[in-house]
Amino acid sequence: MSWLPRSTPIDGYPTKTSDLQSETEDVLVSHLPREDTPPVLNKNPHLQFLVRNLVQGFPARYTSQDASQPWLMFWTLQCFSTMQVGIDPNNKQRAIDTILSWQHPDGGFGGGPGQAAHLLATYASVCSLAIVGRPGPKGGWDQIDREKIYKWYMSLKQPDGSFIVSTVGEVDVRGIYCLLVVAYLLDIVTPELIAGTAEFIVSCQTYEGGFASASHPYFAAQPDEDASPHCLPFPRPNLGEAHGGYAFCALASWVLLKPFLPEGSSLNINGKRLLRWLVYMQGSEIELGGFKGRTNKLVDGCYSWWVGGEFALLEALGITGHHDRSESDAHTDGNDEAWADVDAFKHFTDSLFNRKALQEYILCAGQHPAGGLRDKPPKNPDAYHTLYCIAGLSAAQHRVFPSQARRRQLEEAWASDGELNDRLRKTAFVEALSWLEEEGTSKVIGPSSNRVNATQPLFNLTATHTEGIMSHFYHQTVPRWIPTKAP
Amino acid sequence: MAPVDIADSVPYSERPEWSDLTPVAQYENIQPLAPIFYNPDYKDATDYFRGVVKTGELSPRVLDLTETIIRLNPAHYSAWQYRYQTLIATKSSLADELILTNELTRIYLKTYQVWHHRRLLLTLLNDPLPELPFIEEILKVDVKNYHTWSYRQWLLAHYNREDMWVQELPLVERLLEEDVRNNSAWHHRFFVVFERGGADGEDTVRQELAFVKEKIALAPNNLSAWNYLRGILDHKHLPYSTQADFTKLYVVSSIALNEESVVDLENPRPSKGAQLPSAAAIEFLADVYEAEGESGLSKAVELWRSLADEHDTIRKKYWEYRIREATVAAPD
Ligand SMILES: [Zn+2]
Repeated sequence: MSWLPRSTPIDGYPTKTSDLQSETEDVLVSHLPREDTPPVLNKNPHLQFLVRNLVQGFPARYTSQDASQPWLMFWTLQCFSTMQVGIDPNNKQRAIDTILSWQHPDGGFGGGPGQAAHLLATYASVCSLAIVGRPGPKGGWDQIDREKIYKWYMSLKQPDGSFIVSTVGEVDVRGIYCLLVVAYLLDIVTPELIAGTAEFIVSCQTYEGGFASASHPYFAAQPDEDASPHCLPFPRPNLGEAHGGYAFCALASWVLLKPFLPEGSSLNINGKRLLRWLVYMQGSEIELGGFKGRTNKLVDGCYSWWVGGEFALLEALGITGHHDRSESDAHTDGNDEAWADVDAFKHFTDSLFNRKALQEYILCAGQHPAGGLRDKPPKNPDAYHTLYCIAGLSAAQHRVFPSQARRRQLEEAWASDGELNDRLRKTAFVEALSWLEEEGTSKVIGPSSNRVNATQPLFNLTATHTEGIMSHFYHQTVPRWIPTKAP
Repeated sequence: MAPVDIADSVPYSERPEWSDLTPVAQYENIQPLAPIFYNPDYKDATDYFRGVVKTGELSPRVLDLTETIIRLNPAHYSAWQYRYQTLIATKSSLADELILTNELTRIYLKTYQVWHHRRLLLTLLNDPLPELPFIEEILKVDVKNYHTWSYRQWLLAHYNREDMWVQELPLVERLLEEDVRNNSAWHHRFFVVFERGGADGEDTVRQELAFVKEKIALAPNNLSAWNYLRGILDHKHLPYSTQADFTKLYVVSSIALNEESVVDLENPRPSKGAQLPSAAAIEFLADVYEAEGESGLSKAVELWRSLADEHDTIRKKYWEYRIREATVAAPD
């Protein structure tokens, strides 16, 4: 190769951080894409890796994830969905039975049978059921005890609008994200459930623009246990620095909560600062354009999704790579639906991050030759990195955005059944399902067989699985969407 | 409580003192998908743990059992949770528990649960001062561990004691002395100086600006320091133009930099080894020009173009977006 990208400048002042950075660059540089051979997604070895884990089981080193069994299931199943692979009815049923054995008698799902219910485990269980489940006896969906989940959720609620992840557990934005996704999917969002939660999310944004794990509601221990704690007005102090994983959870939570803010609310996150921080998480050419999770840390395949997946979420805040601003405005309030979306296609040519480079990182550095994907070479693959590399590849290949035309179509099709909170339920349903993939604009690096499915960016499920489970719990028929091809 | 020696320990199924309890297998009537192949010790201990959870027993022997599980899998949150509830129910010594937790924290510093358990204990023990040197010890093992930092920040916010706060800036300065690119230390500095509330007057701002500019001079391509500079200005609603003269020293190439005899303390010059221009400085100056409005726009666009085409090409799309946003924006 004649051309080598430049190393990260160290200003003649090496420190531990820059040493580690240089060592990583030395490794990554040997994985640079070759000009003569386009990078290939080795689907077969990855599928073998996944099938082995699913059917034969996980080796003993996964004992450290014994309390995350729903995650092992979700990571594996969602990989299949994203890689366009179906699961046979027998294994589907085994998956359903396994997942139901994690349901706690007092509501929610635990990390395994007999384990305490946990917000994260509940997300992974319910999303797994969205993939393999169905209505009816033994189908998984109707065996979810929604009333108990709701009661349990309310028992976890804190005065500052946050939630602890389990009884006597910790507070962080991962738990809130997981709670909101499940509440959306199962149709159990209520004003009481989400009161104060948007305020909490906003208070987790740091000066860098990303989000911290949590914020602290007040200063000083309160010796009087009976006194109800008073929350600080903004800003509340952040617990921890801006981090890609927490930023994803916080931003997705914000997008899920925003439709329920009272009209005229001035509450907001700083989108400009968030965007700046997100683009800075992309490593330079010598890092193959992979994403890192924090300033001055190393690139890692899982942030392909946690950070790379956030750009789609920004679309919901009107922050977009659309070239023509006036067109996107027209698109918002135009009354000719087909026309509006065709127009959007015509004007979309760009994104806000380097999609090509991210795909190259995943394909050239993220794939383990023996199957499965990883943090970075020379590390071993694992179930977690396999999904989030594949999901990141999906985010880099497709533009997914909330379509106004689809939204109107869903609103018109909504069948009111006079239930309490009808408007709120309708909002949740429409918000979740209005995400569309922009047809004909996917940017696949390498052969077309590298293409993976688009995912709904809020939940990390395919549109089909999202529609399936939501139409069931909301008792709605999802109108068919006929995509208008770009001219 | 003495730590269990796992290698020599007798399985719970062979211990007479546990013979009254019926172990519960994990999967009884189903053939699970995606199972984990546990080693026999782990399977044995967790079978008994499920048995305990089923009967609801809260007794001293549960403390032994949960410790065994935690040492085999420190992410077993149910074992931690059950252990905490047992400690409370049996009125066990929380001070002793903290000593054990010290050991577990040193080994398992990457798990959520060990730090949360600590936080639960501290909330009841209310003796935060010795925590600060302990955390520093853990920082020596991993100076960027997220849990360590968020725990320290919780401790400071929760107790809000002057005798604790005073130790923080010296710590941050030591850590930045060791590694000026340590973003966790920069974040902690922001937390201590600006998020405490009430302590960030004009003097503080002047002091912080001087501090961060000196650090930028040392390594002008260090994004952590530039982010801190932006953080101060944003937080105090100060215009970026106040730092234009300083930033201009960092957008020229090294060769063009003239020797200057007058030392300007407000605007420290780049170090000898600096690789200029610094992309972060170019970005900053572009923001200064953008804020000027119409008159600065062409200069801002020129700088963004130089980032897109030469100095920060991976973010080409973003710099082009900035150009579009600034030029398309309605004039009034
Ligand atoms: Zn990772």
